Amino acid sequence: MTTLQEVTSTAATLIVAAGVVSGLVVVVVIRRPPLALGVLLDMLVAAGLLRLVGTPGWPVLVTTAVILLLRRVVSAGFRAARHSWSDDGDGADGGAPAQGWPLSMARLVHPAWRR
Amino acid sequence: MEELLADVVGVLVVIVEACGAAVIIVGAVLAFLRFIWAGLRERSSSAFVPVRLTLGRFLALGLEFQLASDVLRTAVAPSFRDLGQLAAVAAIRTALNYFLGREIEEERRQVAAERDVRAQGVPATDPADRARGRMV
Repeated sequence: MTTLQEVTSTAATLIVAAGVVSGLVVVVVIRRPPLALGVLLDMLVAAGLLRLVGTPGWPVLVTTAVILLLRRVVSAGFRAARHSWSDDGDGADGGAPAQGWPLSMARLVHPAWRR
Repeated sequence: MEELLADVVGVLVVIVEACGAAVIIVGAVLAFLRFIWAGLRERSSSAFVPVRLTLGRFLALGLEFQLASDVLRTAVAPSFRDLGQLAAVAAIRTALNYFLGREIEEERRQVAAERDVRAQGVPATDPADRARGRMV
């Protein structure tokens, strides 16, 4: 392992730790787990790119590719979930949830994609 | 002569990769500090979007350096096995560069939409929903 790879490997580990701390800060302060996961995945991508410096072996390549794929899948999942949860749930469109229910429960039972 | 070329290219590869790694490390450290700052001082989810945008730009720039080093390395790759690994690394970096570009564009649109809405005096909601013209 070259000096550059040692430096980048150490930096990658520190960035992973920074990502975990950042994600925890977002969860604790903002209380939005999707945003925290996005922050964590951003930092994990930075760490993965640093691990690709030099001539990495196949396990490192596969791990980085899996992280990138996971990032895309999670992002797509959150986009779909947000689409389902944020549609107008005021009951004006026929598939109305029962009046008096908490809004979050109503949207859970009648998500936008079922209307 | 070939050995000299290989040595020169080897040095160039290390220099270019070090530049790319430095860009990524600086971007990650800056993003970490700004994430903490935004979390502790601003306490708003919209404050994180510009930080992620900046981190994405740093990652894209670092990727450009790393792709340049990949191109340089193809000049001296001695075996098919090395070439295979090089192709995999280049493919990962190219794919990430593509997706990063799209995400940066998407987040830039969100920031612009948020700015427009704020200028019109509409109450703040989720930037993604504002970008789609919805109110939760």
